[in-house]
Amino acid sequence: MPETLGTREVKPPLLGVSGVEVRYGAIQALRGVSLSVGQGDVVALIGANGAGKTSTLRAVSGMLKPTAGTVQLAGQDITGQPAHTLVGKGMAHAPEGRGIFPNLTVLENLELGAYLRSDKAGIAQDLERMYGFFPVLRERQAQLAGTLSGGEQQMLAISRALMSRPKLLLLDEPSLGLAPQVTQTIFRILREVNAQGVSILLVEQNAHLALGLAHWAYVLETGAIVMEGTGQALLASDDVRKAYLGE
Amino acid sequence: MAGLLQHLINGLAEGTIYALVALGYTMVYGVLKLINFAHGDVMMVGAYVGYAAAFVLGDGALGSLWGAVLVFLVSILFCGLLGWLVERFAYRPLREKPRLTALITAIGISFTLSYGFQLKVQPEIAGKKVTLLPGADPRTFPEIITPAEWVTLHVPAPAPAPDEVDPAAPHDAADDFVEIIIWNWQVISFVIALALMGGLQVLVFRTKFGRAMRAVSHDHRVAALLGIPVDRVIALTFMLGSALAACAGILYAIKDTLIQPMLGVQLGLKAFVAAVIGGIGNVQGAVLGAVALALCEELVVGYASSSWRDAVAFGFLIVVLLLRPQGLLGRVQAEKV
Amino acid sequence: MRNLTLAAFAALSLITLGCERKTPAVDPKPPEAKPVDAGVAAAPKQDDVILLGEVGSLTGPEAAFGISTKQGIELALAEANAAGGVKGKKLEVRVYDDQSKPEEAASAAARLITQDHIALLLGEVASSNSLAMAPKAQEAKVPMISPSSTNPAVTEVGDYIFRVCFIDPFQGYVMAKYARQDLKMSKAAILKDVKSAYSMGLADVFEKKFSELGGKVAGIESYSKGETDFRAQLTALKKLKVEGLYVPGYYNDVGLVARQAKELGLKVTMMGGDGWDSEKLFELGGAALDGSVVSNHYSAEDPSPQVQNFITKYKEKYGAVPDSLAALGYDAAMVGIEAMKRSTDLTGPSIRDALAQIRDFPGVAGTISINEKRDAVKPAVVLQIKNNKFNYVATVKP
Repeated sequence: MPETLGTREVKPPLLGVSGVEVRYGAIQALRGVSLSVGQGDVVALIGANGAGKTSTLRAVSGMLKPTAGTVQLAGQDITGQPAHTLVGKGMAHAPEGRGIFPNLTVLENLELGAYLRSDKAGIAQDLERMYGFFPVLRERQAQLAGTLSGGEQQMLAISRALMSRPKLLLLDEPSLGLAPQVTQTIFRILREVNAQGVSILLVEQNAHLALGLAHWAYVLETGAIVMEGTGQALLASDDVRKAYLGE
Repeated sequence: MAGLLQHLINGLAEGTIYALVALGYTMVYGVLKLINFAHGDVMMVGAYVGYAAAFVLGDGALGSLWGAVLVFLVSILFCGLLGWLVERFAYRPLREKPRLTALITAIGISFTLSYGFQLKVQPEIAGKKVTLLPGADPRTFPEIITPAEWVTLHVPAPAPAPDEVDPAAPHDAADDFVEIIIWNWQVISFVIALALMGGLQVLVFRTKFGRAMRAVSHDHRVAALLGIPVDRVIALTFMLGSALAACAGILYAIKDTLIQPMLGVQLGLKAFVAAVIGGIGNVQGAVLGAVALALCEELVVGYASSSWRDAVAFGFLIVVLLLRPQGLLGRVQAEKV
Repeated sequence: MRNLTLAAFAALSLITLGCERKTPAVDPKPPEAKPVDAGVAAAPKQDDVILLGEVGSLTGPEAAFGISTKQGIELALAEANAAGGVKGKKLEVRVYDDQSKPEEAASAAARLITQDHIALLLGEVASSNSLAMAPKAQEAKVPMISPSSTNPAVTEVGDYIFRVCFIDPFQGYVMAKYARQDLKMSKAAILKDVKSAYSMGLADVFEKKFSELGGKVAGIESYSKGETDFRAQLTALKKLKVEGLYVPGYYNDVGLVARQAKELGLKVTMMGGDGWDSEKLFELGGAALDGSVVSNHYSAEDPSPQVQNFITKYKEKYGAVPDSLAALGYDAAMVGIEAMKRSTDLTGPSIRDALAQIRDFPGVAGTISINEKRDAVKPAVVLQIKNNKFNYVATVKP
């Protein structure tokens, strides 16, 4: 049983992951992971490289098929369903490495985020919202996404994911390779996005940032959850500080 | 001057046919990172289906607009279906396997088509002889466009060499000009090819589906995360490429009249080379590469010798790959590790 | 281990890609080489039957040649059998299709000789195919008669190889002479097929003879058999302002050449050889061929009773007027039968000797006398094309 620090505010469940196991060939990447994201939550998943954080997100978003366990979204069982069917159910995943399409323009990337939507007015409105979050995207909307800086690409990746008006946003390592200034901006916007009602499951190597934002957090070690608690509680924990906060 | 102009016309005619086939190669490579070696043979099938359609419609349809349109449509539908079948049952099961496996399958399908069509299978169905497979003998494609001279250009002729002039002979005004004849079917073929390429350009760069194609071509797993139905996009891309190949097959048959089962092999190879020269995966590159290759071939045969045609074509490829490995319009793609 | 498998796959792909796919790998047992005319099912050598072998292009680009020749041979055999056969035995022929490919012709000939034990080999039409077959016949001492191969090299393979038609040095001379003297041409050009020994040979002869007779060959262009677009070469030739264009190729290519020449506005008189002889020529070339002239072995308009008789019987059996190929096929078979009648014991050497003695044999494509080079010394006819028909113009004696 994972060690629990602090008490969790009860919220209606949005995402439920129960006993999920994932293998890559002979390697067991996840050994029975269970976590949950409540409506309006920011939930962080922290851990060392290779702990299985990305695999967890992939198992949730349908990029990987779990060998055991279940994944539920808003009460519906979505275990093992292919990725492209899940966007329609209110989930969006901004993957590791940002995954923007460098051969398309910024605007085209954003438009693709709204691929399944047909309400032109709503899409235009959301586009404006994204430009409001990240004005630099408006400036560069006709540019090829491959010419953007790392930070701008991350902003694009997040905006693109938000264009589908998801209820749940999966974010994989948003701060990777970015300067602190840019990271601050991004996390500020994430807070705002969450305030507007989007739940977030955030995978981060930068435990400080992640724990600062999160309502609840899980610590993943070699494929299993070893600790969970409120962001504040984990920030204060000696074990966490030694292992993940560099102190 | 007149000779050069005629060479350019010839080269352009051949180039547009290469282009229509090269587009199929480049699009499929774009979405699947697969070189579909069977693609040239789809063009051959398109020519034969067009032949069969013209045959069934009968002599009354020859030269009529509706007849020609029907021939094209039937061929497009058949080849689109063929493309779908090949992708669905030969390539999709191999999607997660090493790329070499799919490549070998593609070669296998190419052989199946080009040698399969060399068999003669003509069973009797309901009292009539039905040709299922045509056999290796070349066939004459019917004139679905009745040839007519449209424009005759009069280009000044070069002055004759002094030893060719007979001072006693009266000056014939006709000798001052060289006639360059432009035929109706040449113009029609060119317009059709341009319309198809233009249509494809609009589709790929200005529609939602085109965006989805380009997204899948860059990273199909991320594309799936956006809700794009990757399998469907790939299937449609295949069908599109095959439809273009079908048109290329009929345009080829209109131009060169004689069709035989191996025609897709050599032409497909040239079209593939053209796609690589232009930058494999790049749609405008395919057209550029095709026209450049055809013009190069035409000029070599016209001014040097026919035996050099293929050597120069492939030499051109080697030079481009040495100097600019990504192709003329290709982008250097960083490999994601 | 996986790397080794990958390397093997890669090597296999490279080899497959590198292979010239117009000619499939030579299969020692070609699946297509099934006996076409197995009149006797699985016949081991029977004592009351003489088995002849025939190799022909029954499919592929030269199919018209093969089919005509085969029909001529069959007609000859039927007639001979009706008249009592040879030395009291009936004649039969086993036919293999070489798909218009030399390597297939070679393996078909080998099969006929070693497995079917034929007494006499008939074939082929295209000189490239005959050249491939001849060494097999020569080596096995089986006499071979080519009905229509005109390249001189064919009979040079050995003393068991014969032909009943004229050779290209004569054929090229015929057209060169006709062009200079009858058509009064002073400037001509040549468009030849580099993949055909026949075409290359004829082109060389024409070039030499035309120049010797005072004409000028202003340009020579080439193509490879099977190409369908000759516009580049024709555009280059258009600049030369010649009066005639000699195209010593096969009917499929020539038909397209004529068509494209008209398309390009090339105003020349086209000339050619016996390779033009097929209805398919008109299918492709149509009105573009009007006014062209060819040298050939025989004309259906020849009023001699023997020829007309032959034409009637052929029309009865096959519903079409025989072309040169059919006539020569008939003559080749008849000459072979005559030699077998005269031979002492129906062995290879004795048939060969009898063949070498044939003089003044009345063939439907002309009187046949076999010379010391085992070629037939015969006149040629010049035909002109008008309205999709070959019309007799002149006879040229050697």
